[in-house]
Amino acid sequence: MKAAAFRYGSIIAIVAVLLLGVVGYHLRAAAEDDLPRVEFNADNISPRPIEDLTSKSVPRDYALAWQTLAQALSGNKTGLLDGYFTGLAKQDFAQRINSQIKSGLQTKYTDHGHKLEAIFYSPAGDVMELRDHVQLDMQILDGGKVIYDQPVTAQYMVIMTPGADRWLVRQIQAMNGEKP
Amino acid sequence: MNRLLPIILALVTLVLIILAWFQSGGVERRELQSASAPDKAVQLMFSQIKSHNYDAAYARLANRDDVDKTAFTREFEGSYGSLLTYASLESFDVSPLHTGDQESSVRVRLHYSTALGPLDDVRDLKVQKMGDAWKVFWPVNNGTKLPPQVIAVNYLRWDVIGRGAGDDWGVQNADTPQVRILSMNAIQRPDSVVLVGEVVNEDSVPAFVNVGATLLDAQGNEFAQESSFDKIAHKLLPKQVTPYRIDFPGMRMEKIKNVRMDVKALLVAASADPVIEVNQQKLETDPLGKKVLTGELTDEGGQVVDIPHVIAAYYDANGKVIWVSDGYVAQPLLPQVPVPFAVDLPPDIAKNVHSYHVVVNHYDRVAS
Amino acid sequence: MRSLITTFLVFSTAISVMASEIHAPAQITAGKAITLQTSGSGDATFYLIGPAVASKSKVQAGGDIPIDSDRLEHAGRYVAILCASDGCTATNFFVSPAAANRLSFLVHPSRIPVGTSQGISAVAIVRDNFQNLVLKPEPVTFSIMAKDEKPVSAARNSENAFAWVRLTSARKEGPTKLGASIGHADEVRVVQQVAADACNLRIKASRDKHGFLIETDPVHDCSGNPVPDGTVVSFTESDSAGKTTVDVPIKRGVAKVDMPIDGRATITVASGVVTGNALEVSGGQ
Repeated sequence: MKAAAFRYGSIIAIVAVLLLGVVGYHLRAAAEDDLPRVEFNADNISPRPIEDLTSKSVPRDYALAWQTLAQALSGNKTGLLDGYFTGLAKQDFAQRINSQIKSGLQTKYTDHGHKLEAIFYSPAGDVMELRDHVQLDMQILDGGKVIYDQPVTAQYMVIMTPGADRWLVRQIQAMNGEKP
Repeated sequence: MNRLLPIILALVTLVLIILAWFQSGGVERRELQSASAPDKAVQLMFSQIKSHNYDAAYARLANRDDVDKTAFTREFEGSYGSLLTYASLESFDVSPLHTGDQESSVRVRLHYSTALGPLDDVRDLKVQKMGDAWKVFWPVNNGTKLPPQVIAVNYLRWDVIGRGAGDDWGVQNADTPQVRILSMNAIQRPDSVVLVGEVVNEDSVPAFVNVGATLLDAQGNEFAQESSFDKIAHKLLPKQVTPYRIDFPGMRMEKIKNVRMDVKALLVAASADPVIEVNQQKLETDPLGKKVLTGELTDEGGQVVDIPHVIAAYYDANGKVIWVSDGYVAQPLLPQVPVPFAVDLPPDIAKNVHSYHVVVNHYDRVAS
Repeated sequence: MRSLITTFLVFSTAISVMASEIHAPAQITAGKAITLQTSGSGDATFYLIGPAVASKSKVQAGGDIPIDSDRLEHAGRYVAILCASDGCTATNFFVSPAAANRLSFLVHPSRIPVGTSQGISAVAIVRDNFQNLVLKPEPVTFSIMAKDEKPVSAARNSENAFAWVRLTSARKEGPTKLGASIGHADEVRVVQQVAADACNLRIKASRDKHGFLIETDPVHDCSGNPVPDGTVVSFTESDSAGKTTVDVPIKRGVAKVDMPIDGRATITVASGVVTGNALEVSGGQ
């Protein structure tokens, strides 16, 4: 009787461990999948050449900014903007989320990747301008019902500035595709 | 049988009491109370100091008439917010230096635990036989104290008004100061890799400086990161130079392909006062046989410096920084009263030292 | 067959008349009110989603939907959705920035040593009244107003909303004003030009009651500008007893220190990375 209980207990424990492993793996994979893909190009940046460390942190922080933006707009959580947004960008998205809450709306993005091109880096290193060519699916929901679902290809002009330990999105403005 | 049991119980109780007395150091205490030997007298006195029983410790002095009890207590309890006011005597080691019939000398090494880490103090004490007991002859502190007076201080002070939280990003702000790493030298020590060098504040405003280093392997991956922590004078006045030292414990030089240095500076309010003079600097060997840089600090202003911190850079014949050592001074700096200091350096490095530069950092209750 | 085709045409025409649609103007400028035209009929819900807006309101399909100017202040992509009983229809439109009329003006550093080549950076970001980036080229006028000198100005065309210049600081210390203007915007920043490193640092010694008074000559940079008070000067005295160092800030143009000296001693002076002369003195009785 005891031996049988021990045997079944062991099997349950092994299965539980395996299940936890699978769930953990999937959660990790999901977290990695959530981070948008950003192809970064700083070949035409001027007048200041980009530093090695900056060329790594800008695309990383920009991807994290889009990840948190998607989470903030879908969950209507303004607090999530604090991590990677500042200035006008943070102010505008917070305004958008507050009006979404008021109207019972949600916006969901499925991000298909960004082509991010750095075009201006100030001589003092305190501001960078970038152009982002993004492809995403945008869904707008009213009370959980989808009222809009379309693929979007857009170009954004982005201003990023350095913070204490990361680059922050200060302004992001969609362009109508025309060359300025 | 009825009588035997109480007798057995009484005997067991007695044995237990004797055991407990031995266990709690009763023999030692008895021996110490008798102060029958010079080192025992010193040991007893410092045991009483350790347990803050200053009256009993003071009673052990041979020269009570010359030593003020309050001053004696302050030597261990600290004063003016000095480092000893944030410390406790953790342990001490007593070793006889010379033993005579009437007079002996004993060395005591005091180990304090302080808010800024461990602090060691070495004292050589004279012990005199008075009657049956040995008593400690405490060195009289004849340190001069400045008479009451007004000292006019008119050095510069810098205040900072920054951009307000509500101000637009484009509104001009006071820029962070320009600081520069003058040198960096990586040294392999038996148990660590140490980066030493100097930083200068090139600006015309004060800076709060910190130096960090990241170690990169052959593939360019970061694998260790440390900062200078307190081995730097953080607050630098315009054109002031400070040594810095960054330790990577357990690191080997072979693992390091590249080092990324990062100096961060903040614009801070500061005062050019107090000016601290570093006198009579000398490289010598201390009574314990260690190589030390000794000297005296004198506060030239009128403000008490609570916790002085000495940082020394050592150069070889080519002017390259080959070591940086630092130490906190237990006593406060009273205006115009010299206070000795000593910072040690490894003997293998000491033999290559050609010159040195000392800076004094300080932490004050009011200012910092 | 003919009747079948006729029935189909009539039915499809009826469907197309009844289905809701929404149309936006081709050109929309930030801060300007617009009217969206809709088709269809009956009660409907109108949604407007923009960079900083997400609103919902009840409308009548088939009528015009006015959108106030304050809801269109942010340039960028907007989505207008009309949901009626037959489903939802949407249109996307872009709001372009209004005319350039504001500047973000970033000038660095706020302090600079005199004669630093290309050391000052001035970056102007061209915006409209609503803080939108104006991406088409606009002429930005930069000007320099140095103390006791005539203002000098130059125009630079913005590129993707950014215009910038780099300047060399003057030979003379003091504040200089940098301006940037466009439309009604005229931003001014001040750069403090300070003396560079000390030049020809010299000390002299005189006896006083404590020993020797060691004093620098007035400390200047190589252009003759006085080095600011507060700058640290390090005095080092070496004699047979050891070494004494004092870091003294400059006060009223000079740095000085009292040093009690016994016997022969050498005194040296330095400020930052600049070293001065050495003095041999003999003290004591």
